[in-house]
Amino acid sequence: MEDNKHQQTHKKHWYDRYYKLILLPPILLLVVCLVYLGIFYANHNDLIYKDASLSGGTTITISEKIDSNLIEQIKQKMPDSYVREINDLASGEHIAVIIDTSLPPEEAQPIIEEIIGFKLTSLNSSIEFTGPSLSNNFYKQLIIAIIISFVLMSFVIFFLFRTFIPSIAVIFAAFADIVFALTFVNIFEIKLSAAGIAAFLMLIGYSVDTDILLTTRVLKKSEGSVNERIFGAFKTGIFMTITGLLAVLPAFFVITGLPDSFRQIFLILAVGLSADIVNTWLTNASIIKWYADAKGIK
Amino acid sequence: MAKITLRIWILIIVLMLALLMISPSFKEGVLIKSVDANSTAFNNGLMQGARITAINGQLIKNIQDYTKAVSIYDGNTSKKIEITASNGDFVFLTDNAPEITVTNVPRTKIKTGLDLSGGARAIVRPVNVTLNANEMGDLISTTSQRLNSFGLTDVTVRPTRDLTGNTYMLIEIAGASPDDLRDLVGKQGKFEAKIGNNTVFIGGEKDIADVCRNDASCAAVQSCFPSSGGGYGCNFAFAIYLTEEAAKRHADITSKIDVDASGQYLTEKLDLYLDDNRVDSLLVSSNLKGQVTTQISIQGSESGSTQDIALEDARKQMNRLQTILITGSLPYKLEIVKLDTISPTLGREFTRGIILLGLVVFAAVSIVLFVRYRKIKMTLAVILTMFSEAVITLGIAAFIGWNLDAPSIAGIIAGMGTGVNDQIVIIDEAVSSEKSGLKDRIKRALFIIFGAFFTIVAAMLPLFWAGAGLLRGFALTTIIGVTVGILITRPAFADIIRKIQE
Repeated sequence: MEDNKHQQTHKKHWYDRYYKLILLPPILLLVVCLVYLGIFYANHNDLIYKDASLSGGTTITISEKIDSNLIEQIKQKMPDSYVREINDLASGEHIAVIIDTSLPPEEAQPIIEEIIGFKLTSLNSSIEFTGPSLSNNFYKQLIIAIIISFVLMSFVIFFLFRTFIPSIAVIFAAFADIVFALTFVNIFEIKLSAAGIAAFLMLIGYSVDTDILLTTRVLKKSEGSVNERIFGAFKTGIFMTITGLLAVLPAFFVITGLPDSFRQIFLILAVGLSADIVNTWLTNASIIKWYADAKGIK
Repeated sequence: MAKITLRIWILIIVLMLALLMISPSFKEGVLIKSVDANSTAFNNGLMQGARITAINGQLIKNIQDYTKAVSIYDGNTSKKIEITASNGDFVFLTDNAPEITVTNVPRTKIKTGLDLSGGARAIVRPVNVTLNANEMGDLISTTSQRLNSFGLTDVTVRPTRDLTGNTYMLIEIAGASPDDLRDLVGKQGKFEAKIGNNTVFIGGEKDIADVCRNDASCAAVQSCFPSSGGGYGCNFAFAIYLTEEAAKRHADITSKIDVDASGQYLTEKLDLYLDDNRVDSLLVSSNLKGQVTTQISIQGSESGSTQDIALEDARKQMNRLQTILITGSLPYKLEIVKLDTISPTLGREFTRGIILLGLVVFAAVSIVLFVRYRKIKMTLAVILTMFSEAVITLGIAAFIGWNLDAPSIAGIIAGMGTGVNDQIVIIDEAVSSEKSGLKDRIKRALFIIFGAFFTIVAAMLPLFWAGAGLLRGFALTTIIGVTVGILITRPAFADIIRKIQE
């Protein structure tokens, strides 16, 4: 206990001295991400890589073992297709093949059937088709949904704290979470599905938990110094994020047999929550500390 | 044992109610999903909703057992069948398997959507027209009628709209889906019978009084034969009955056409068009010339590489024409904007994956909680609360008849994740060494939790409308989950922690 206190007083010193400086790396990172996304947009005329559910096309999942040279043939016959195999992580056994193509199913299905030598029925395969008119519409609407979601979240935050700077700090952290997560999926060339975009909405709601915790502890608590309150909030918050990650990561890494669109939701949440560690405990914490110092909150 | 507070009682009662809603069933057998009208099975009293437990003395535990037991009724000879069902025993002679569809007895009342149980989903919209509510209603009833007369029973057809006000028709079919679903729901279904340029009759009740179906004496695949170019062809024919008006039109038109040289047929044929494509041309018998005849035979043929394929295709085409002749044409073209068929096999894999995932998540969260707090009681309290939340959410989903699909399940898991977050906030406030009262600290914890609640509800709300409602489940289960958390489990959990602390 004594030791702990001693450590905190020691920490207090460096935190008081450097908290403004700590703001710098995450803001630089945000700028780099924004520049990256800007260049990405200029090159692709879009903010993300879209899968068949957003760009129009067909996803065929065949739950049978298919020889790798047949898979090569499929790739050759349908040049725009994107084929990948799903293996069970535990046994390494081949579970399924997923084929993404811009062709409609009535054209893609015969080509695949000819190569693999058996008929695709509702027992051995799933076929998901989205027409281009719907997928465009989908995409636009989900973007609108993200904006509405963000605005509604901002209203709630303003309503909760009713002070400008602390509220803006929370909203800014949520924005940075989205930008980091978006940059991540683009760097790894992950094709986003409609469900994946929905995950960003979830992220907006989920990631502000720790920011609310931090702001409440600093502004509404009267015991201890501001630094102690920030460190206290950090101890709780980081543990929240860790358990949050434990709830979402297995869906992506352990249970690989789940549908891709489903796993994507959890990948995006995991990336967003990880980004949130930086944005809450470096960015938001420094801003709220700055605010508290300026306002003379003790 | 510490006193159980009101809030904890509420949690226990709601949990019980939720379990009641889900009500797991351990009954064996197969459930009758539908019985064909006027079939042998129907006449002998087999009813929808009854559970079959044995056939000819063999126990029936699942669909596989059922399929095996009825496989001996191959349509060749009449045999006795003894069916033991929940509504009585039935013994009758039959040459075919009973004309019923069966399904495994559902283990719970939770409705599983496409991703878990397999099936098909189509989103359809009319091309270049905007439908008002009435017209959409007409489209939906015509489509339902088509699907039903095609023999599909477990079907829901409903309108759906998106953020920008576009309306679509959403069709969901449970279980295995027919491969010609595309034709069934995406085609206008315009049937025209023409002689030369004159339309004799069109599909729909105005011209067609009745169509013979499911009756071998007037609707059947008649003959199959090896065709000249290799492969096989099969002919089918079925009778239709014209209304008086259409019959008179037929008489008028044919009266003006000459009889051909053989004297057997008229010089012009009756051409059948489906969605503006000619599907067949029929010779018109010379004795029909100028006759007001109400009964007409519609014929056609289909070919295939083997006799079985040709036979199957002929049956399908006959069924399609019959369906379209009954329901008539839609006044506009349709476009299928989305069509998903999910294999029941993959659905089972998915369900297994979800259960495994649940176990892994529970285990992982328990371990870190124990490592952090070193208290079994607290860890158990968090895990039990997490579990209750999932159960109550599922109970509510079963209660409102929500179809659980992949997004809904993602929502439940994410909801549980935020739930654990909240509980950590409560514990940390409760165990903190501050001097201020426990009540104040719990109050502050609840402020944080309410804040988190409102932000997540606000963030998920737009998903109710975006994207034709396909991701609605994600928003719905998340919001149910966090609401259950805030109203029921969190207050109870705060009390439990208070008890543990005291």
